[in-house]
Amino acid sequence: MSAAAPVPLEQRTIFAMGGGGFTMEPANPLLDDYVLSLAGAKEPRILFLGTASGDTTPQINAFKARFGGRTCVAEHLSLFRPSETGIPLAELLPEQDILYVGGGSMRNMLAIWRAHELDALLVGAWERGTVLAGLSAGAMCWFRWGVTRSSGPPEPIEGLGLLEGSLSVHADGEPERLPVWLSHLRDGTLPGGWALDDGVGLLFRGRTLDRVVSSRPGAEAQRVDAIAGELLRRRIEPDLLGSRATDPLGGRDEAVEELRRVHRLRRGDGRRG
Amino acid sequence: MEKDGSLLDDYILSLLEAPRPRICFLPTASGDADHYVVRFYRRFSPACEASHVSLFRRDQGIGGVEDDLAAHLLAQDLIYVGGGNMVSMLGAWRAHGLDSILRRAWRRGIVMCGPSAGSLCWFAEALSAFHGAPRAVRGLSLLPYSNCVHYDAEPARREEYHRAVADGMTAGFAVEDGVGLHFRGTKLERVVSSRPGGRAFLVRQSSGRISEARLDAEYLGAAPAGRPADGPPAREQVAA
Repeated sequence: MSAAAPVPLEQRTIFAMGGGGFTMEPANPLLDDYVLSLAGAKEPRILFLGTASGDTTPQINAFKARFGGRTCVAEHLSLFRPSETGIPLAELLPEQDILYVGGGSMRNMLAIWRAHELDALLVGAWERGTVLAGLSAGAMCWFRWGVTRSSGPPEPIEGLGLLEGSLSVHADGEPERLPVWLSHLRDGTLPGGWALDDGVGLLFRGRTLDRVVSSRPGAEAQRVDAIAGELLRRRIEPDLLGSRATDPLGGRDEAVEELRRVHRLRRGDGRRG
Repeated sequence: MEKDGSLLDDYILSLLEAPRPRICFLPTASGDADHYVVRFYRRFSPACEASHVSLFRRDQGIGGVEDDLAAHLLAQDLIYVGGGNMVSMLGAWRAHGLDSILRRAWRRGIVMCGPSAGSLCWFAEALSAFHGAPRAVRGLSLLPYSNCVHYDAEPARREEYHRAVADGMTAGFAVEDGVGLHFRGTKLERVVSSRPGGRAFLVRQSSGRISEARLDAEYLGAAPAGRPADGPPAREQVAA
C-alpha cells in the first residue's frame, strides 16, 4: 500500500505508453509486466481507469484477463456504473500501488475526472509515489499537452501537466496524428515533446525521462523540438522488453515463474474456483 | 426503454406531433454502452427517425452523428437521455458544449426526456449516489426544483433526500421507478406511471419541517383515457 505522505520528486513515477498493453496487445504481456514491476510492493494493488472509453466491458474484461492471473490485486473503477464496493474515490485511490489509465476520448476522460474531482486525487497519488501508467489518452493526460481525436480530427488538448512538454501517441498506428502534432510544434503552439509508436513506453522518475522501453522490435520513440521554426527530431531506440540484452527483467527466471505459478494456483483455489 | 417501460415510451411518443418523429438518443451517462444503443434502436427505429450521439466514439466516424452536434440535435422532435451516472454525463456534455445545445433545444420546444440520470439532469439539483454517500449535484437547471429517482428501489433514498432538502436542497420531486413527471415549461402537468400504484412525491421544507405530499399518478396501462385521443398512429406500431 502506498504511503500517505508525499515522496521526493525523483520517486514519483509515470509510465506513458504510445499504445500497447492489454487493450492493444492481448498476446503480448511485456509492457503490462513491466508496469507491475514498477511498483515496490510484492503483490501490488492495481486499479484500472477505463474512463476514456466509457468503461467498456471489453476493456474491463481484457484488464481482468491480463492481470487476474498475475501477482497483484487487480480492480477496476467505473465512473458509469454504480460501484460494487461503495468505497468513496478519496479512499479507493490512496489504497492503490498502480493506477492504470486506458485509452479512448481524452477530452471526455479529463472532463469526467474533473466532474468527480478525480484529477486532484490523481495528482495526490503521484505525489505519494503511486505509479501512474497508461496508454494513448491514458499516457498523454499526464503531460502538459497531448493530441487527441476526441472530437474527430486530431487537435491539441491540455493534460494534467504533471510532466512538461507534449506527447503524441500511435505514431506508427495512426498516421494522421503525427503531422498535426509536428505542425503545432513548428508554429510554437505546442511545446516540444515525444512521439511514441505503439508498444513504446516512457518511464519518468519525477519529471525526468529515465528509460524508454518497447514490447515490439522496431518500434521507436522520437523527441522533437522546434528551434527557430525548424524541427529537430531525434530518434530514441527503446530497450526491448523480454530480451536479456536490454531488460533486467528479461529472459526466463525460473524462480519468478515458479512464484507466479504458486500465486495462480492459490488464487484459483481461493477465489476463482 | 427501461424494464417494463414501454408504456412510458408510448406516452412520450404520444407527445410528438410528427407522423415519423426524429428522435436522438444520448447514452452518455452509460458511457455509450453498446447494448443500450442497440436497445434504443430496437425500440424506436420502427416508428421514428432514430439516431444517437456518441461522445466516446467521435474519432471513429461510424454510428451516430459525427458532424455538427448542434445542428443535428436542434433538428429533433425528441431528445432521449439514457440512464447511468449523472456526474460523468454532465462532465462529458460540458466538454463537448452539449449542455448549452440542450438548453437551446428545450427553449425551441424539442421534447426532452429520460430515465434516472436522464431525468435528474434537467433539474437544478439532484441527489446522486455513485461512489459513496449520496450528495447534491447541480443539473442543467431547466426545471427550478430538485429531483430524486429510484425512490422505491433504494431503502435509504427517502431518508437521504429528506435530509438533503432539510440541509437546503431546493424543494423537488421524488419519483419511484416506472413513474414519469411531465412538465410544460417549468409547470408539472401530469404524473404518469407504467406500474399500477407507482408514486411520486413533492418534498419540501417549511419552517424547519420536511413535508412529503403524494402526487396523483395516472396508470398508463389502465385505459386509453390516459392518452390524448388523437395520438399518432405510430404509437401502436412501436408497441407491437
